[in-house]
Amino acid sequence: MLRNSIVGILATLIFVFASIAKPVNDQSAPGFSGVTMTGETISLSDFIGQPVILEWTNHECPYVRKHYISGNMQKTQRATTEAGAVWISIISSAPGEQGHVSAEQAQRLTTERGVYADHVVLDPEGVIGRLYEAKTTPHMFLIDQSGVLKYQGAIDDKPSANPRSLDGATNHVLGAWSEFVDGEEINLAQTKPYGCSVKYAD
Amino acid sequence: MTNPLASVAKGLASALFALLVLALTTFSNQAQALDLGRIDVSHSSASLHSEYQTLGAGETHWLGLRIAPREGWHSYWKNYGDSGAAPLFYWTLPEGVSVGEPLYPTPHRMPIGPLMNYGYEEPSVLLLPLRVEESFDGQTINFSVDVEWLVCEIECVPQDASWSGQLSVGDMQESESAQSLFASARLALPELPIWSASLSVYEAQSRLKVFVDQAEAPNLSEAYFFPASEGITEYAAEQQWSLTEEGLFVDMKRTVGGLEAEGGEGVLLLSFDDGSKRAVEISAEMQIQQAALGEESGSGMPLIEATLPLWQAVIFALLGGMVLNLMPCVFPVLSLKAFSFISANAKTATERRQEGWAYTLGIWVSFMAIVAVLLIIKSGGAAIGWGFQLQEPAFVGSLVLLMVLVALSLSGMFNITVGVESAGQGLAAQSGNKGAFFQGVLAALVATPCTAPLMAPAIGFALTQAAPVVFLVFSLLAFGLALPLLALSYSATLARMMPRPGPWMEKLKEALAFPMYLTAAWLLYVFNLQAGATATLALLVGVITAIFGVWVWQSFSGQVSRLVAVILMVGALTGIIYQPSGDQGGAQTQTNGDIQTYSEQNLAALLAKEETVFAYFTAEWCITCKVNEQVALFTDDTQALFADRGIVMLKGDWTNRNAEIASLLADYGRAGVPLYLLFPKGSTEAVVLPEILTPGIIKDAVEQNT
Repeated sequence: MLRNSIVGILATLIFVFASIAKPVNDQSAPGFSGVTMTGETISLSDFIGQPVILEWTNHECPYVRKHYISGNMQKTQRATTEAGAVWISIISSAPGEQGHVSAEQAQRLTTERGVYADHVVLDPEGVIGRLYEAKTTPHMFLIDQSGVLKYQGAIDDKPSANPRSLDGATNHVLGAWSEFVDGEEINLAQTKPYGCSVKYAD
Repeated sequence: MTNPLASVAKGLASALFALLVLALTTFSNQAQALDLGRIDVSHSSASLHSEYQTLGAGETHWLGLRIAPREGWHSYWKNYGDSGAAPLFYWTLPEGVSVGEPLYPTPHRMPIGPLMNYGYEEPSVLLLPLRVEESFDGQTINFSVDVEWLVCEIECVPQDASWSGQLSVGDMQESESAQSLFASARLALPELPIWSASLSVYEAQSRLKVFVDQAEAPNLSEAYFFPASEGITEYAAEQQWSLTEEGLFVDMKRTVGGLEAEGGEGVLLLSFDDGSKRAVEISAEMQIQQAALGEESGSGMPLIEATLPLWQAVIFALLGGMVLNLMPCVFPVLSLKAFSFISANAKTATERRQEGWAYTLGIWVSFMAIVAVLLIIKSGGAAIGWGFQLQEPAFVGSLVLLMVLVALSLSGMFNITVGVESAGQGLAAQSGNKGAFFQGVLAALVATPCTAPLMAPAIGFALTQAAPVVFLVFSLLAFGLALPLLALSYSATLARMMPRPGPWMEKLKEALAFPMYLTAAWLLYVFNLQAGATATLALLVGVITAIFGVWVWQSFSGQVSRLVAVILMVGALTGIIYQPSGDQGGAQTQTNGDIQTYSEQNLAALLAKEETVFAYFTAEWCITCKVNEQVALFTDDTQALFADRGIVMLKGDWTNRNAEIASLLADYGRAGVPLYLLFPKGSTEAVVLPEILTPGIIKDAVEQNT
């Protein structure tokens, strides 16, 4: 009985620890909660039943600026959110680092730039960023309605800060999104993100 | 152009170039440099050069783009690592002329927080091959190029510049002034591939094997591989290398489920003891391996040495296991085993030896089970270390129950076979073996959270290795723990020395119950800290219920009462296992006085302020730690010494799971506590103190390093 119970305990332990997720495609996306710019606390699990797109952002990063000044990010946000996706922008810049914003600043930026994101999560400790191993701004993730990670990587295939590079660029997020909506296998489910490093707290 | 500065610069450059062309035509063949213009952009400057002032049809020529970032800023290699961007070129060229991919100088590593970048903190020259086809019959090539490159300090600023102009075609003629630039640019390139290589990509790691003779790389101090393609390594992770008779091996960590590996090209940077460096291009044949590394280590693949060679780890493990016998945490359990020796006189030599081996087997089996679970959990990505089972309140609770039952049995309340109670009764050898096995299991379970001198480096080494090595090292550790008592079981002299069995043995057995009760008390204390007072109450109720179950079992012989007893026991145990998870988050350990709690940030902040820091890593279940703290660390003398030298104390508490502490322990090649680090003033390199402290050891370390 003793030995059996030890085996039982150890087996329980395995289940407990195995549930700690990493961002791997076709596996459950790591669960997180965060406070948004409106002071609301949201969790990934709140959106079970809806596809979710995560966008790591830093409004001062030239690569992010390319996508916002040109309207490319807003266009991507609009196309996906109108088709039922929940768009969550996440700011993991630490206080004092580039791109760190207060809730008020985040709200102003959202209005000024005509952003279509449903939520802007402030992650100054970089907890969500590290959980998703977010490396650059922008860095994009698509999660399906059952919480499974479907796409991670760059927004498009042109690693340039110059808006003219958008001409002829292939938007990977829209590509993955349309394949996902059509119920197809996502052709390019993982790409290397480009842009500024996420300005984590040391 | 969006950048007004660049537009102005572009205009200026064109004007300059026109002047230059004018000068060239005026002085015809006397012309000097073919400098195609320098452009200053916001955070860097760049200049374009041609190696030839007259190009030849049917030839490949070289252009050089020199990028000089502002002081403190850096530009990027073609694979920028975790973040950044490689330079981009947009050429406009006449038909029959083309420019190929640039050749990059050997990059540097630039860590930024948890990320790693590859690039250049100083001016770098990219070499661009310009091909003029045989069919090209013009006199001049009108070219223009827009270049975008990124420079970053922490923030990033993309840089834009454009060059345009004419290059003449005719009899090839070198540009003399450009020669030194091109000569030094070629020196900065990695050497062309001279060694054949293979790159095996496994799920969680990649291994580069370079067929280089040991004699070709004497006094090698480091080897580092810059992969040109994605999916080979996690850039920020350390690489491990070893130079063996079979070649040079570089092991790299890979993100499980990350990007697919794209190719085996890259640059191998070799650093030597005398400070010299050598960079060689690698064009390795890439193989994607399905099996995990290590599963095929039988096929003659050499094992990479991490911090120490395997044979040393094995010896450390054996010695460490033996020293474990002396550690305070194992002692109470060993008294059980010692007791069974007392009856040695009454047993035959064969029986004694069998029991010795059964005891060894018990330890070994338990160690293997713990290691197997540890490996499974680790492969799930959790940061855990040795002694992890005592970080789980359910396990600690079960051990409390076990200890109480064993102690009660010794006290004579009832008999469960632990191999002791039968002493002196001349019991059959077989049940003696069972008891010995059980003692082994018990010894292993309580011994695991303890680390002994020499054992820590061995475990630290083993946990980074492939499964067969892990099992080998831990087998030796288990054998080391068992060895002293196993050896004694072979000693006939010792057996003869034992007194005749008699009623006194009953008294001694009862006395031995008390160390067991004390062990239970210690575990209860640990449990209380982990799970909180409510859970502790539930645990105590569970323990009493279990005792009641045993009592029912013993007192009534009917089937119904036996069933009731079993239900009681199972119920109690289930309660102990499941209850704590409902009441987690228990009490935080108190840190007394001005001791700060360890965190990476905290430590970094103190080191930045050039404080002398003494960081100690402990856990409530680590008796060695507690003993050290009482005997050496929290003595008046040591505390006075610390106060006198202005040493700041940092405490890392590993009682519960903590990834930050686990990763720090791993950095120091440790898999468990205790760990004592002294950071001398202004240094980020710690002096590591031994696992067993005395006031003298601390005093010496402090005096030598402050």
